[in-house]
Amino acid sequence: MTMTSLSQRSIANFVLDHLVWFMLVAVLIAFSIFIPKFAQIGIYANIIEQSTFVGVMAVGLAIIIISGHMDLSVESVAALSAMVTGILFCSHGIGLGFSTKPEWLVVPISLLLSLLVGGALGLLNGFFTVRLKMNAFIVTLASYIWVRGLVVALSGGRSAQDLSPSLRWLGIETILHVPLIAWIAILVFALFTFILVMTPFGRHITMIGGNPIATFRAGIKVDRLLIWAFVIAGAIAGLAGWLLAIRTSGATANLGTGMLFNAFAAVVIGGVSLKGGVGKLPGVYAGVLLLSSIHTAINLMGLPAHYTQVILGLLVLAAVLLDTVKHSIRQRFT
Amino acid sequence: MPEGMHLQSEPLLQLENVAKSFGAIEALRSITFSIGRGEVVALLGDNGAGKSTLVKIISGGLQATSGRIVFDGHERQFASPAEAKAAGIETVYQDLSLCTNVDVVANFFMGREIVKRWFGIPILDEQAMFSATAKAIADAGTRIPSLRTNVEHLSGGQRQAIELNRFVHWGGKLVLLDEPFAALGVEQTRRGLQMIKAIAAQGISVVIVTHIMAQAFQVADRIVVLRQGTVVGDVASARTSPDDVVQMITGEALPGLAQKARA
Repeated sequence: MTMTSLSQRSIANFVLDHLVWFMLVAVLIAFSIFIPKFAQIGIYANIIEQSTFVGVMAVGLAIIIISGHMDLSVESVAALSAMVTGILFCSHGIGLGFSTKPEWLVVPISLLLSLLVGGALGLLNGFFTVRLKMNAFIVTLASYIWVRGLVVALSGGRSAQDLSPSLRWLGIETILHVPLIAWIAILVFALFTFILVMTPFGRHITMIGGNPIATFRAGIKVDRLLIWAFVIAGAIAGLAGWLLAIRTSGATANLGTGMLFNAFAAVVIGGVSLKGGVGKLPGVYAGVLLLSSIHTAINLMGLPAHYTQVILGLLVLAAVLLDTVKHSIRQRFT
Repeated sequence: MPEGMHLQSEPLLQLENVAKSFGAIEALRSITFSIGRGEVVALLGDNGAGKSTLVKIISGGLQATSGRIVFDGHERQFASPAEAKAAGIETVYQDLSLCTNVDVVANFFMGREIVKRWFGIPILDEQAMFSATAKAIADAGTRIPSLRTNVEHLSGGQRQAIELNRFVHWGGKLVLLDEPFAALGVEQTRRGLQMIKAIAAQGISVVIVTHIMAQAFQVADRIVVLRQGTVVGDVASARTSPDDVVQMITGEALPGLAQKARA
């Protein structure tokens, strides 16, 4: 009797904790059966490729939300880092066409610059939020606006084209039908999953999101860790921008517009609680894949793209609703 | 007299004329009292008497404006809770000392995680932490169904047990309990009081802030009463009565006491 209720409970918990994966599998199976031409390697690879930029952005956003804060600036930060990469290493448009000797050195240099640009903006967000105790929502909303403004100002409304070939091959070369940049996104997920789950830093960030006062009393340097979280989220957004520049072989002033909401949707659908302290990065990746799958299905069916937005909005709503009813579902099985 | 003897007999914590003001407001005017080793002191007083401020000063959350604090034979001024904790003083606030979104083990080792290193990268040593937690909890005779359950699924009594066991495990010397039983049921409160006595028996000093007179008398060796930022009463609980204490708290003679005095 107790055995069955216990196993029932653990099954219920398992399903609730990994719901987004079940949804992803169900959706993929349904699409593969009912949508003509969906069931091909190319489509699946495309879904993974599409998940690259929103996915990377979502990692930083998820870390910040798990720590109990908010970062709305990731999209604009990515755009700025893409623009910086574009201006420096593109040969046409507003590109300055810098090159390095040897050629491959452009990869680490541009990557480092992107991380620095993102990290610096993250530091600014963290300083205002943590040191000056301003509301993270407002601080990062302001960054979202002014950083995008800076991107437009830098570009003068024009675009940078023809990125250095030694960077571009990262977006062209594939392993198992999946482009290298998508593998980089998967690596970012794996790396930060490891950091969140296995290292003291990740443990502390999770606990701060759960109860900042308790962690402070336990002698954990809450403020310093939170600022680091913002710096990391910024740097990850910078990385997303770098990947975007590579994928589009340049940068435009409106590059990445709307990605924030996709990233946000993925984070919420992936099971990260907006209350902080709860969430797993693999779930977030599943959330991103789910969104890309739906996107792809809508494209294949030839429906107007606006439907994606409708479905996305409803999914976010459903995810938040689920977060609130999860507790009562769990109790039913206790 | 040998020095060891001297150390044993002196109090663990001594406060001398400790004062704290927030701008023009004097929260504490002049606090002088001491706490012996293994002694349970109940801190009583009306709302706004300065109990919370005093507890925060002892545990490093606030700094005194003036006065001397001698802890364990040394004059100290704790700049942060972390410093106080390193010295062996900890506050167990109701629901403020645990992260309910992680498991028992993570809470037990909060801020003191055991790590192993892979190529210089610190990695949580979950196994070592699990067995240490299991041992400490078992030694204390506390029953918790699974150390891998998130604390949010545990009862108030279990949470308190985790906090106190954690404190003892980490070599604490003085524990401050702020309204520890406010949210607990009768049975859990009884166990909590038992636990306080068990902790004191191990030589750990306990300061308990409470509104409930009965609890203070049940568990405390001494009762210290604050009113308007000063100590207005410091008596062994065996030598006073709830009525006397209420009188000290309010600063007014009770009708009952007055009648007793007339009789």
